[in-house]
Amino acid sequence: MSILSSEQKAIQQAAKDFVAKHIIPIAGKFDKSGEFPTVLLEDSKPSNIFAMAVPKEFGGLNYDALTQALVLEEWGYGCAGMGTTLAASILSMDSVLIAGTDEQKRRYFKPMLNAEIGSFGLTEPGAGSDAAAGTATAVKKGNEYVLNGTKCWITNGGFASVYVIFANTDPAAGVKGISAFILERGIPGFTIGTTDHKLGIRASNTVELLLKDVHIPLTNLLGKEGEGMKIAMKTLDMARPAIAALSVGLAQRALDTCIAQVHARFPGKPFPGQTLQFKLADMQILVEAARDCLHQAMQLRDAGVPYSKESAICKTFCSDVAMQVTTTAVSLMGSYGYTSDLGKYMRDSKIMQVYEGTNQIQRLVISRAVLAHPPAPATSTAQKAGK
Amino acid sequence: MNFELTEEQQLIGQSARDFGKEYLEPIAVELDQKGEFPKKVVQALAKHDFLGLLLPDDVGGAAAGFVSYVEVIEDLSRYSAAVASIVNNHTIAAYSIQEWGTADQKKQYLPAMAKGELLGGFAIFEHGPTPGVGADALVATKQDVGYVLNGKKAFVRNAGEAGVYVVFATTDPALGAKALTAFLVKADAIGVKVGEKLETMGLKGCPVADITFENVVLPQAALLGAVNGGAAISAKALAVASVAEAAQTVGIGQAAVEHAAAYAKQRVQFGKPVATLQAIQTLLAEVATDCHLARLGLRNAALLIEEGKPFEVEAAMIKSFLVRFGSKMLLDTCQVEGGFGYSETMPLPRLFRDIAGTNLLDAPGDFPEKLIAASIA
Amino acid sequence: MPKCLVCYKWTLDEQDIKIRPEDLSLDSSRAKGKISDFDRNAIEEAALLVEKNGGAVDALTYGTATVKQSLKDCLSRGPEKVYWISDASAENADANVTANVLAAAIRKLGQYDLILCGEGSSDQFNQQTTSRIAALLGLPCVTFASKLSVEGDTVKATRKLEDCQEDVVVKGSVVISVLSEINKPRIPSMKQVLGASKKPNEEIKIADLGLKPEDLQPKAVRKSVKGFVMQRKNVIYKETNAADNVAKLKVSLASEGLI
Repeated sequence: MSILSSEQKAIQQAAKDFVAKHIIPIAGKFDKSGEFPTVLLEDSKPSNIFAMAVPKEFGGLNYDALTQALVLEEWGYGCAGMGTTLAASILSMDSVLIAGTDEQKRRYFKPMLNAEIGSFGLTEPGAGSDAAAGTATAVKKGNEYVLNGTKCWITNGGFASVYVIFANTDPAAGVKGISAFILERGIPGFTIGTTDHKLGIRASNTVELLLKDVHIPLTNLLGKEGEGMKIAMKTLDMARPAIAALSVGLAQRALDTCIAQVHARFPGKPFPGQTLQFKLADMQILVEAARDCLHQAMQLRDAGVPYSKESAICKTFCSDVAMQVTTTAVSLMGSYGYTSDLGKYMRDSKIMQVYEGTNQIQRLVISRAVLAHPPAPATSTAQKAGK
Repeated sequence: MNFELTEEQQLIGQSARDFGKEYLEPIAVELDQKGEFPKKVVQALAKHDFLGLLLPDDVGGAAAGFVSYVEVIEDLSRYSAAVASIVNNHTIAAYSIQEWGTADQKKQYLPAMAKGELLGGFAIFEHGPTPGVGADALVATKQDVGYVLNGKKAFVRNAGEAGVYVVFATTDPALGAKALTAFLVKADAIGVKVGEKLETMGLKGCPVADITFENVVLPQAALLGAVNGGAAISAKALAVASVAEAAQTVGIGQAAVEHAAAYAKQRVQFGKPVATLQAIQTLLAEVATDCHLARLGLRNAALLIEEGKPFEVEAAMIKSFLVRFGSKMLLDTCQVEGGFGYSETMPLPRLFRDIAGTNLLDAPGDFPEKLIAASIA
Repeated sequence: MPKCLVCYKWTLDEQDIKIRPEDLSLDSSRAKGKISDFDRNAIEEAALLVEKNGGAVDALTYGTATVKQSLKDCLSRGPEKVYWISDASAENADANVTANVLAAAIRKLGQYDLILCGEGSSDQFNQQTTSRIAALLGLPCVTFASKLSVEGDTVKATRKLEDCQEDVVVKGSVVISVLSEINKPRIPSMKQVLGASKKPNEEIKIADLGLKPEDLQPKAVRKSVKGFVMQRKNVIYKETNAADNVAKLKVSLASEGLI
């Protein structure tokens, strides 16, 4: 954990309190039913937390990256599904932050101030990791674009007010022919398809989006034509650490649950032997290292320093840690693990390694950064040490 | 040294696979969703002699041997690990009666168990740190004509459906686990109260519940094995059970890797099937390798059991291996299928939830490594 | 109380056969053996008839050295005894050779009320062996049986033909081929599998069948076997109106006689 300012500590505590009051008590119910907790949005209004990434000039909280990570960790601790709702909303608004005009920002950040949410529509049935293989089209006709296509596995899609949707304005140009658009809920031709029933993060809404001759004004283009993939990649860079934050919260929750179960199981004997103790120690090591890795990446971002590699590293490491810690927790706690929320944390963890860029894609990004240039040869102690 | 199954064992496996395809595949999803005990399937299992596989033919069993048994469990698990769980928990109870029961006890219970008319359950775990210790520990108080049981058992599989339970109670709370004693308790005995069915992450359809025993009166004839001999009985039975459970893990893993491989061959991204990507090949290969090695390890342990040789170390080794690599089989295959591996309309999520239930360290603080280390150091 | 004989073939499981992409040749190195699909129906039918009417089922098979792997499988499915002929000539045998061998063996074994075979083998599917055996033995032949019953010394069969169904009655010994729809082969129970090793099997040496060398020479020689890979047409209908695409698809399917 980074050393926090008193303001950050206060925000972290407020998030803990909110999660304890409004998320933890309802998490089990929504995990079971798979329904979307609209009540959560209502409860979030006073804190304005859905606008935590929105700049002050547009009415938002303008939390820095580290502070956002603190909040998201708490939400991940409470319920990774509900945390995903917040994270994905910020993901979509990050696109607007990166490429939007002031007018677009003003218009599309406004709903966030009312705890309405955004949705990021990139994935298609044939375009998962190969995001550039999308076939949705946006044809310019006079002073409008007409959009057609299908998006799938879109988080928040069934309940969002605003959407960032990617479509081909120039299919022949491949990657360079993809553009980003802002859509509002309720536009004719823009409908919500099937809802996916998932292994985990079941409180998070995941749907198909159907676009059939959707007419939008030219002013809904985000950035320039052909810049869509660039915007998407920059957005994901920015938003990836949110998944790392949810993962750290998830892992911490599983660890805390194990510790509580150990105390209950061995009353008066909190140190039940090396094998069990060391496994818990290993879990603690991973959770703390994951948190530190995330915080370091966030400090780079807040300092305005390039952090693309660190963003990929922290997403990968933190989600892998969550998966490992939650899996160990279920096995270690035996039938307690299997009949308790530990099962939920293990189920929730799996998607952290997959969405917002699979950990395989992350490793591509990282390995390319690492192998791009051979390291400088080590120098002897007689000379100045290399960089 | 022959690593191949015998012809008979292969035919047995083939029958189990054909049974799985015909009876389990059509109901596996609904069983997982509704969790209703599959009575018709259990009847069909009985008809094909799967419920009396290990029992001798003089009680109506098939006397097939333990290697055949784990082959069956692996094959059934490919289709429904929940059903395999029902069979495993029933079989461990039957095995216990066969190994340690008197002639009368065997006659009383085993023929019906072989026919599937009577289902078995095994009640060992408790909520305290160790069976026989703690406030809720199950205590057997000696009386003139037998024993009276009071206390609670935790996480009993087949609870509510079993007609007879192999139950472990301490005859002396002061001695705790050292005075653990095994009993055969009929489900309809007065005072046996099966608690509410517990919500499990997977293996739904095999019921799990706590059982409370309130002044359950048992005749002397209910004693299984020697007084205070329960620790040895439960240790051996649980060791056998862990090998049987390992077969479930391998069956689930096999089904998962086959599904993921088929998926990877047809899922095209970046212009090629993802099966051509080294990243995907690594995931599939690791799972296939671990599954293969686990299968060989568990067959070895099964053969030792079948031949009546010491097997507890080998059983602990296979458990230790699968605690580390069992669930990984589904973590990796789900990763191969990406979003499709996360959607409950596809099979992998159910297999993910099921496999996590086969590597549980239920004996509290009792890790398999302890026994392995004791055998070498 | 019919005395039944079932003839079956031990073939490779086609699921395990891989097609080499370079030349479409077949890689059977990892293929396991199985009783030919329709022969399983024949074995099952014989077992069912005997369970209903009494009597006994023998089985007979002719194959290469691998034929010994089939014996327990067969015996777990109902027959009381299996006779087997193992000879290299089986490798390239055509229906003519197979029928010569089986008919000669049947003559040696004696009288049977019913001789059952599958409609065809799951590997070559010539659909000739049954009729040839009947001809060589001078017995009546009923093919494509979808239903069978026995009443005393009479056999009643329903034949399912392409455009009609035919009911046939035969008195005395008869050779019958069965369709897959006649029954559902049992999944042998554990006891049936384990009981198989207690049942007898007997080798019949091909030299003892009194056949001439030319009887074992195939008249139809297989030059090669290649895999068939379905070529995808990859046609995409791209009209903006879905109804137009459906109309085009309809026309395409109709022109191929598929609808």
